[in-house]
Amino acid sequence: MKDDNIYKPLRAKLVEVIEESPTIKSFVLEPEREFSFATGQFVELTLNGIGEAPFTPSSSPLVKDKMEITIMKAGYVTEKIHKLNPGEIMGIRGPYGRGYPLEEFYGKEIMVLGGGCGFAPLRSLLYNLEAEKDRVKKVTFCYGSKNPAECIYKPYIDNLRKMDKFEVYRTVDEADESWAEEVGVATVLLDKVEVNIDDSVAVVCGPPIMMKFGVMKLLEMGYTDKQIYLSMEKNMSCGLGKCGHCMMGEYFVCMDGPVFRYDEIKDQPNIWK
Amino acid sequence: MGKISSISATDWQTVLLNLARSYSFYAPVSFNGSMDYELIDEDNAGEIVYNHPKPSTPLKTFFLPVKENVTADLKEQKPALIMGAPSCDLAALDILDEMYLNRDYTDIYYKNRRKNSILIGYDCQSMLENCHCTSYGINPFPEKNFDLLLIKLDDNLLLQSGSAKGTAMLKELENHARITEAEENDIKRIEEKRADLREVLTQKNNKLPGYDSSGRLIKASDDNIWKSYASTCVSCGACATICPTCTCFLLIDRPDFEKIRQLDACQYPGFERVAGDEDPLEELPVRFKNRYQCKYVWKPLKFKSIACTGCGRCIETCIGKINKNELLRELASENKV
Ligand SMILES: Cc1cc2nc3c(=O)[nH]c(=O)nc-3n(C[C@H](O)[C@H](O)[C@H](O)COP(=O)(O)OP(=O)(O)OC[C@H]3O[C@@H](n4cnc5c(N)ncnc54)[C@H](O)[C@@H]3O)c2cc1C
Ligand code: SF4
Ligand code: SF4
Ligand code: FES
Repeated sequence: MKDDNIYKPLRAKLVEVIEESPTIKSFVLEPEREFSFATGQFVELTLNGIGEAPFTPSSSPLVKDKMEITIMKAGYVTEKIHKLNPGEIMGIRGPYGRGYPLEEFYGKEIMVLGGGCGFAPLRSLLYNLEAEKDRVKKVTFCYGSKNPAECIYKPYIDNLRKMDKFEVYRTVDEADESWAEEVGVATVLLDKVEVNIDDSVAVVCGPPIMMKFGVMKLLEMGYTDKQIYLSMEKNMSCGLGKCGHCMMGEYFVCMDGPVFRYDEIKDQPNIWK
Repeated sequence: MGKISSISATDWQTVLLNLARSYSFYAPVSFNGSMDYELIDEDNAGEIVYNHPKPSTPLKTFFLPVKENVTADLKEQKPALIMGAPSCDLAALDILDEMYLNRDYTDIYYKNRRKNSILIGYDCQSMLENCHCTSYGINPFPEKNFDLLLIKLDDNLLLQSGSAKGTAMLKELENHARITEAEENDIKRIEEKRADLREVLTQKNNKLPGYDSSGRLIKASDDNIWKSYASTCVSCGACATICPTCTCFLLIDRPDFEKIRQLDACQYPGFERVAGDEDPLEELPVRFKNRYQCKYVWKPLKFKSIACTGCGRCIETCIGKINKNELLRELASENKV
């Protein structure tokens, strides 16, 4: 492995594009050979000749022949990816970084707080927890998005609600007449849930502002720094601990993260930017 | 000093021409008051400068070119012979090797260039205004990462091997020239020169805090000093580009899944910008401070090797006339009060 070219992407065929919301699409990829990742790890996805960007697969880590990546239109590369049709050949490098430490979750209640496209990595985690639900007490999933149209993975949510040990709560910033669930920012859901905090861990992923207020709220509720896990989003280029773009204080987020326990990073500069 | 060989200056000229034929041979040549590596051939072999501190270009450039296609097949290349690397630049290879060779992922292009080159280090026999190697535990004469060490003394050149490659090279040289064991007296003179220069450097930098204390001072500093020093920074990135240990890069995509590794710098606006336009380094003083924190506070927590070897290039090159050492001395003096 050591003399493999770390910069050369594996080819992967785009086999399906799923429209999740007006700004978010999922891309189902078939890598040219089997591709394994742990939930929470990320890949560098290449759009040939255009650019490369980091994404966390949103599919189950137990599926090895296909991988799904959910992408929000956010700028130059992601807008071009959104225009793709099935059949396109893309490139993937990875998997990189440290994913969710499932061993630290076993035997506990797991509070999962997601916002917007932050659901993507969390869905992979939820798939993984479904497969291992005998090893956890309960999973409470709280999800917030801008409006009902931006709520992604609707069929998946419907299934999850039927699942034993899983509870689902959703909110939108701006509701319309179709909406029968909560209204308000994602953190309002934390007032609704019942959780035995001492016996629980919390996982947060979403836009920086939501992560910041999510963590503040969890701390207020009585969670300790060591019970909160975050998926950090930083600028990345190499994913390999070399290019320096992802540095967050002493950490290379691409290798030491992207998943961190809050106590590990709370004293580093600019964590919410 | 270990085993030192000696060769006469006349024989050395013949050796140089032979080397220029077998290798891509680079050595420092001076022009317009500065000195830099040039490709050596018979026309300029006589112009090589010996034992003068610091070519303008840092050594890293030979191993991490400013732009390189990092998806192309590795090509067989004429081996490179790089002569004239000063101690600070050789010491800087430690952190590069740690990053590009010894971490979980090896950069095969870097590895290939390192393997394919022979390094001839120089003792420095004088200092430039901003040299401060000794403040960070580095002597002004190479002690690591060289294959051969070369010191010119009047009519003789003294050579010492620092690796198996160096020893093989010395053997090869014996085919073209008379190589003898160095005179006791010459070795003594070198040792004196070394001790003298080290003393001069230490004296000149006696107010400069050491590497670890600099880290502690930066960590404890408040925003004002960064605002004040950054006021003339124009974000040109020259300080990072010229630094022998700064190697941040950006991967650029080309058709056919080609990727170019291009030197980048945290001093350029947007270096850490993410989608949604959040940018932790948006404000100039924060961005300016980032480079100091990286070198003195963060890298030391991640790597065994130091991230500033005291070459002084960033000070000489700064268009805003920002003097890193003046800043560190100011931090140190404030802290004492
Ligand atoms: C570990 C990780 C996992 C991620 N997972 C997902 C995911 O599952 N789904 C999803 O939609 N998004 C995810 N993102 C965010 C996604 O990478 C950015 O939205 C994307 O890089 C934006 O690229 P752009 O060219 O469209 O944006 P632009 O704003 O046009 O980008 C321009 C430049 O800024 C850089 N840049 C901007 N934002 C980022 C960023 N966040 N990270 C790295 N470089 C950036 C790019 O390198 C590019 O050079 C993840 C980010 C990280 C770090
Ligand atoms: S060389 Fe000087 S002006 Fe240029 S980025 Fe560095 S500190 Fe700023
Ligand atoms: S920070 Fe400045 S003095 Fe230190 S190694 Fe880099 S260029 Fe040289
Ligand atoms: S993304 Fe290059 S060092 Fe982390």
